[in-house]
Amino acid sequence: MSRWIALGLRSGIKTTSFPKAGDAEASNVPTAIELNPDRLTPELALAAASVCPTDAIVADGDPTAGALAFDMGQCILCGRCVRKAPEAFAYRRDPRVGVVNRGKLQTRVIWKEGRIAAVERGDGKPDPAAEAKELQRRAHRMFGHSLHIRHVDAGSCNGCESELQLLTSPYYDLARLGIFFTPTPRHADALLVTGVVTRQMHSALTETYAAMPEPKLVVAAGVCAIGGGCFASGPTNHGPLDNVLAVDVYVPGCPPSPSALIHGLLLAISRAEERYRAGEPNDGS
Amino acid sequence: MSGMAELAQVVGLNLRSGAEGELWAECDEAQFNSATKELAKRARLADLFASISAGVPSLTAVFSTAGHSSWLLLRTKLADDHFHSLTPAVHAASWYEREIAEMFGIHPDGHPAAQALRLHDWPHAYRPMRDPLAEMKSLPPGHGDRVPKVRGQGVFQLPLGPVRSGPQESAEFLFNSGGEDLVMVAPRFGYKMRLVERLAEGQSVEDALLLAERLAGISTFANALAFVQAAERAAGMEVGEEARRARSLLNELERIHHHFGHLGRVADSTGMAVPAAQYAALKEEVLRIGADLVGHRYLRGALAPGGLALQLAEVGRTHLAAAIPRWEKNTKRLESLLEDTATFIDRLDSTAVLAVDYAAQHNLVGPIGRSTGADRDCRRDHPYAGYKDLQVDVLVKSQGDALARVRIVFFEIRQSLRLVEQLIEHWPQTEPSTQLVTSKGSALGWAEAPGGEALHFVELDSNGRVRQWRARPPAVVNWHPYAHACASGNNLTDYPVIEASFGLSHAEFDR
Repeated sequence: MSRWIALGLRSGIKTTSFPKAGDAEASNVPTAIELNPDRLTPELALAAASVCPTDAIVADGDPTAGALAFDMGQCILCGRCVRKAPEAFAYRRDPRVGVVNRGKLQTRVIWKEGRIAAVERGDGKPDPAAEAKELQRRAHRMFGHSLHIRHVDAGSCNGCESELQLLTSPYYDLARLGIFFTPTPRHADALLVTGVVTRQMHSALTETYAAMPEPKLVVAAGVCAIGGGCFASGPTNHGPLDNVLAVDVYVPGCPPSPSALIHGLLLAISRAEERYRAGEPNDGS
Repeated sequence: MSGMAELAQVVGLNLRSGAEGELWAECDEAQFNSATKELAKRARLADLFASISAGVPSLTAVFSTAGHSSWLLLRTKLADDHFHSLTPAVHAASWYEREIAEMFGIHPDGHPAAQALRLHDWPHAYRPMRDPLAEMKSLPPGHGDRVPKVRGQGVFQLPLGPVRSGPQESAEFLFNSGGEDLVMVAPRFGYKMRLVERLAEGQSVEDALLLAERLAGISTFANALAFVQAAERAAGMEVGEEARRARSLLNELERIHHHFGHLGRVADSTGMAVPAAQYAALKEEVLRIGADLVGHRYLRGALAPGGLALQLAEVGRTHLAAAIPRWEKNTKRLESLLEDTATFIDRLDSTAVLAVDYAAQHNLVGPIGRSTGADRDCRRDHPYAGYKDLQVDVLVKSQGDALARVRIVFFEIRQSLRLVEQLIEHWPQTEPSTQLVTSKGSALGWAEAPGGEALHFVELDSNGRVRQWRARPPAVVNWHPYAHACASGNNLTDYPVIEASFGLSHAEFDR
């Protein structure tokens, strides 16, 4: 046994400094798509929409008049838009992509007479700023900055679980942030859901949620839980998690990287801020 | 040349050739039944699946024999939705037939245990792989299914799942126990069923490939590779030498991260925190290099029909070359320390034993198969991608217990590291493939996934769109004897070790 302890000590500290500092080690992972409306043209919009395999980029109209709807909550990060229209679509590598407001993942660009006429950044909920503040107040009161998570796989490919399991590995060490997985819903503050909600997981999911004490948060991790992604049209599922439970935080990605999950969980207890907004290019901070 | 052709002659089949390495025979149901039974004695039934073409159901059996690289496919059209069950004579057919029955509504008459495999509380009349998908949204509540239960004084049933203790996949296991001993474990699958194969129908190969990549997260690349190879073979598309080598490289990289994760979970199940953390760290390092190479930790988006969708990044090459010796050193040290730790070895030794005779009836694949005497590995037996020019050794053991499974995984990590080392000596220079699949055809595609042989069948229509996709990932085969292994004289406290040592994917099984 002493040899194991020695081995553990010899290995040194591997843990990332994220979220305090950037996550240089894992910086090659694309975490989201950035749409730059300033560089978008109707032609690029139509070209990108024609190659998008999910409903993340939908365009209607023609080069003279039309609109493009972008939804990061449906994006599986296949990168086709980045290859097809690199002028307007780019990968984002900052893992801070989680949002409290579903609308922050969506944007709509309208063009008339062949020119971009308006950019509507979706807000989804009535008053996002007030809502976020309210969540912050609630979370502060509720959990005093620590969080116990109950995870439910509602029908995933196991990619999200693989990333979740790595959260407790030396590189991420979730416990250093006061965040823990708990086996029982009775001890859980947050329900973290991955995957589309399949017909056969629906009742297990809602029963788990019901077994959690109030107040409670719901985190939708990965594109399947947010919008369905590849499986959005799948008839076996109940559609986005929003249809089943009220979601507090959305973490896009396919799967979301461990750093993105950390940011999303910290966001849920107001220890991090939203950084991503569809249609707004990265401010570089 | 082909032993398969001689074998087919023995059972009186007229063969025609299909895609390269495939021999086809079509016959009526009576002959299908007798020929399959006869062939199953001499060859391995690798898959049995149903198809519906213009409303007419058919069955296809896929065989492989040791020492010959060709596959034999036997197909029969059915007059109605019934056929004679093969299960009484061919045990490996049992779960395939149950799947055909519930998903297609084609019934195996005479099947000894024909209850549902994946569909619980499901309206029996609805056939998910056959009936209009639109109807599924408005299905009525289902019927409860029969759950096998052991009765007797003091025997109780303890459910585990579908919501598990940690961040794990959803599945349910019903333990029947008298207190300590596991008398019987009844797994219930299907909680994660997304109908991946059905959703691909009518899609282009490029779009369906995205679904194939999302069949299962930790075997993304192998399943996507098997799928895309099937489509390429069906359309008669060539893949360049460099791209083939690059595919092998990524195939091995995935095996390495899968196996590191697997060993981490086994160590964790025995309460060994240090090796669990060490293996998890190793897995993370492999995933990061995957992202360096192709821009995705699980290698999604790397494949394209005709080759790779991208060029392997130089930065990944540098990182990988530097990491290999480090991984080799670390894994060697962990392996020797684990072999030297009695508390670890004792938990695995004689736990969840699959006897060679019993396992042989299931035609198991991958490390689980190889730990029970099944000498098969499709990298060696049916070389694909760049494996023709690589030396793949296959370690076979006969103990069939958790320890044997873990030792095979130890060996495979070492071998995969060596293969990657060989492959990066001449770095594959791939150009992004822009080939489109536009022609008709059907073919098998296969790849050695971390869990074993992934065997996919794809039929394309005249526009090159997917008409049928049958995915048979390794977990479909390897879950079959699991319940038996659990009940081989183990205690409830052994269960975490049993589950971790099998390391089977639910996403692959449920699809």
